[in-house]
Amino acid sequence: MSFIEVKNISKTFKVAKRGSGLKNGIKSFFKRDYIAIDAASDISFEMDKGEIVGYIGPNGAGKSTTIKILSGILVPDSGTVKVNGLVPWVDRKEYVSNIGVVFGQRSQLWWDIPAIDTFDLLKDMYKIDEKAYEKTKNELISLLKIEDVVKVPVRQLSLGQRMRCEIAASLLHKPKILFLDEPTIGLDAVSKKIVRDFIKKINKEENTTIILTTHDMSDIEALAKRIILIGKGKILYDGTLQKLKNRYGNNKKVVITTQNRLSNINKKGIISHKKNEIGYEFIVDVNILTINEFLKYLGTKIEIEDVDIDNVGIDDVIIKTYEEYDL
Amino acid sequence: MKLYFHAMRLHLKSLLEYKASFVFGLFSQVFVFFSYYFIILALFNKFDNIKGFTLYEVLLTFAIIQFGFSVNEIFARGIDQFDDLIVDGSFDRLLIRPQPIILQVLCTQIAWIRISRTVQAIIVLVIALVNLDIAWSIEKVLVLILMLLSSIAIFFGIFLLMASYCFVTVKGLEVRNVFTDGGKHMAQYPIGIFRKGFIFIFTYIIPYAFVNYYPILYFLGKSDNKFYMLSPIIVLLYLIIPFYAFKRGVKKYASTGS
Repeated sequence: MSFIEVKNISKTFKVAKRGSGLKNGIKSFFKRDYIAIDAASDISFEMDKGEIVGYIGPNGAGKSTTIKILSGILVPDSGTVKVNGLVPWVDRKEYVSNIGVVFGQRSQLWWDIPAIDTFDLLKDMYKIDEKAYEKTKNELISLLKIEDVVKVPVRQLSLGQRMRCEIAASLLHKPKILFLDEPTIGLDAVSKKIVRDFIKKINKEENTTIILTTHDMSDIEALAKRIILIGKGKILYDGTLQKLKNRYGNNKKVVITTQNRLSNINKKGIISHKKNEIGYEFIVDVNILTINEFLKYLGTKIEIEDVDIDNVGIDDVIIKTYEEYDL
Repeated sequence: MKLYFHAMRLHLKSLLEYKASFVFGLFSQVFVFFSYYFIILALFNKFDNIKGFTLYEVLLTFAIIQFGFSVNEIFARGIDQFDDLIVDGSFDRLLIRPQPIILQVLCTQIAWIRISRTVQAIIVLVIALVNLDIAWSIEKVLVLILMLLSSIAIFFGIFLLMASYCFVTVKGLEVRNVFTDGGKHMAQYPIGIFRKGFIFIFTYIIPYAFVNYYPILYFLGKSDNKFYMLSPIIVLLYLIIPFYAFKRGVKKYASTGS
């Protein structure tokens, strides 16, 4: 039996439909039309202990609905979830003692006082034993490099400092599962690196199972071997990142520096092109059009000053996948 | 309980972060309260009594209601402002913590700044008690304590009921003011001075009369009915309703997410 088992969960929300303007506003006050939105439909997956999964999808795809169901906040309309033998929404109190959740856009720290005070409160919240608490707290503080940061009122911290405190706060009770909802959103490069290194470390050393949602694909590349791609409430892809990349692996990104303007591009194999500050950016399918042929073709049209060729990044792969599924 | 005391300390610490606004806040609370107080004084400047109730008797009624209300404004502030938790999504956070939900909601806000109102209510209570000629006995002490407790209980119940209503509609809870502010203003006076319809509503629908009307009749020796003495206990029974409603609300939240 897997550590996390999600079987056929579905969840539909009724959302009030409202037109714009006062007239519709008044109308909706008396009579509301509802539209049903499938935030999750027939979602199933399994995870082993100690696995890191990147849970990705565009806004409104149903990511947070799944996270909320897995963390026991929401009850699905149908389907079952078992985590470590417990049903999240049934055995709520017991279950939540074993999970940690970081909502990147929502703070759990008390705004006007130092983070360390929130930590102390969480010790009582989770009834953590004094000795274990001191040990875990000190470890987290040194790993996340927040020795001085935790003594300053939270409102005075930078986003990166605050996020590191948030992560520490979510791990004081040593959860077996950690949900990270956009943990690196808006962070500077240094904080991002500290956060990523830290996530890797606790995964390795504590064998913490981690579910990570993010829009930052470099997070996924750095952390998760496996990704689950979700769109319109359905799982579109579940597998390694590499495999998904290979699907579009024959595409190359070619950046051309030029002063000229380009018109009438019409050649099989050129998937897309767009203008940038220095020239143009192309996506080329090298199975159809080799780089050599591509450059030759382009050379007849413009003066090429410089060429940069790159594998298509994960961002583009994701965008392509979204397009494919019409998201 | 340890958790709640811990939260109390932290809220005090948060408040002290802003020293100037803390001092100013304490004073502004004094003025709000005294405006109510002076209305009663002004009233009795014109009349000796209202339907047989003297100034100090009314002040006693007033102090009991203000006491319970202010205690809730301090310690049940989180429940009073529950719509905020729903609107900004922090209610989700409470659901992922291994503690009772209501306890956690209480921990979210403790408005120490309003402590001056409680102090004032106690002062008025003492003034009233000193000036009233009361034949003290164990029963009278008991009924006084019961009145104060039931006053806390009734406002807690109203706050909790209104909080439960947030699960249905999130914003625009003007309804609450009819029950809390409107009801509170009336219950500052002995309910018996009002028309029958009001007496009925504030006895059976929102049981203010059991907090400070019937017990006060006993307390002031206007009635010997022992049932009046124990009537505040009825208020505690009424609490079942808001607790049940809140529980239902949490359930609904889990299935709709709003």
